[in-house]
Amino acid sequence: MAEQRRLTGYRRPDGSVGVRNHVAILPVDDLSNAAAEGIAALVPGTLALPHAFGRLQFGDDLDLTFRTLIGVGANPNVAAVIVIGIEPNWTDVVADGIASTGKPVERIAIEGRGDLRVIEHAARYAKQFLQDASEIAREPVERGDIVLSMKDGESDTTTGLGSCRVTAHLVDEWVASGGTMIFGETSELTGGEHLIAERCVDDEVRKRFQGFYDDYVEMIEQTGANLLGSQPTQGNIAGGLSTIEEKAMGNIVKTGSAPIVGALAPAEAPTKPGLYFMDTSSAAAECVTLMTAGRGVVNLFPTGQGNVIGNPVQPVVKISANPKTTSAMADHIDVDCSDVLSQESTVEQAGQALIEIVERTINGRITAAEALNHREFTLTKLYRSA
Amino acid sequence: MASSRPDFLAHRSGDAVAVAVRDLEPGLVRGGYLDGDATEEVDLKNDVPLGHKVALRDIRAGEDVIEYGVRVAIASQDISRGDYVHTHNVRSARWQNSVA
Repeated sequence: MAEQRRLTGYRRPDGSVGVRNHVAILPVDDLSNAAAEGIAALVPGTLALPHAFGRLQFGDDLDLTFRTLIGVGANPNVAAVIVIGIEPNWTDVVADGIASTGKPVERIAIEGRGDLRVIEHAARYAKQFLQDASEIAREPVERGDIVLSMKDGESDTTTGLGSCRVTAHLVDEWVASGGTMIFGETSELTGGEHLIAERCVDDEVRKRFQGFYDDYVEMIEQTGANLLGSQPTQGNIAGGLSTIEEKAMGNIVKTGSAPIVGALAPAEAPTKPGLYFMDTSSAAAECVTLMTAGRGVVNLFPTGQGNVIGNPVQPVVKISANPKTTSAMADHIDVDCSDVLSQESTVEQAGQALIEIVERTINGRITAAEALNHREFTLTKLYRSA
Repeated sequence: MASSRPDFLAHRSGDAVAVAVRDLEPGLVRGGYLDGDATEEVDLKNDVPLGHKVALRDIRAGEDVIEYGVRVAIASQDISRGDYVHTHNVRSARWQNSVA
């Protein structure tokens, strides 16, 4: 193993380590987006996180929305949070959940005040949080402090042959160094789910993984729909993938060879180092948002045909081995490993180049998706609201 | 060294299909396997774009299609070595309604 690069990050009150230092303005519900964006407009440098849901949800779907909003606020890439909701009760649920990490949180509800009074009140806190965050210094950190996540998108056969093998090289090295990794995309294991089950460290983890898998795929299969064009997507098919099983094998390649130490519910955070499965959709923005809530601080994103996704809180690093994509969509690609496909470089060489870019991203390098202002923040909805 | 660059790559020895790593035209094409030094020459019958698949052996309709050493599809019609393989001649073995 090469000598390790010096890493720096922001250590939060709960001991977690972030690689960005955002002051987030987090609406609890769709009705509060306008006020959140108003605050961010008054205090440039803060980060509004508008989204489409949060009203009349109930049961497991409401729990998931709360867990996602709390997890994104608790993500170590966030220094402080302003929580805005239409009414105080659910606003308190989200604000209290984030405040349990020890980071500064201010909350305010809109009913009885109106947007303009809320904006005036919250903007003063936002200004103070921003100034305070600007004095939080980066400090030396270890790989073991860093939670990475991974997701591939607009995959084609070059992901399984190239970018996912390169990602696997990083995954194995990261886990061996004591780091934490999260993969997901539940339906996109179909045909190779037994390979994931075999790698679970014990029967408890295996049973939890299998339960997530069976429930998700049963939900899909019960519809009786023809999924060709949805999973795999039209882009996957254009790139040469013919079936869900073929797509799944590429997804599985990128998880490397480490044992799977835990199976997480959507938006659930890991509790110790190692490689984790998380139960997620394969839709890029939904999946990366759930992994952000699961405390991922950098996302590794192999792509074949050129998915352009980013996330407002978690930087997304794009890796592609498709020479047409790395040429036509070079603006979006952080790591070009098309030489692996032409066998002009090895997976190990490309893997080291990926590790270098990821570690520079940890240290502050802005990814292509960040530079291009990709801020897809998408909640996963389990069913209709009441 | 341009002459050593493969036309296609297969994941594992024993796989029934390989992936074109450049746009290929009908005629003799050559490639190899990720898990060894074996090489393969195939008389390609169709255009196969980069990322799309080439049959490395004959596959009968209804037979499993092996890639990565596992079943990734079922042949929906007879396929010959050198044929272009995609949704027109293979389908998911798991999602029965997912057909072109």
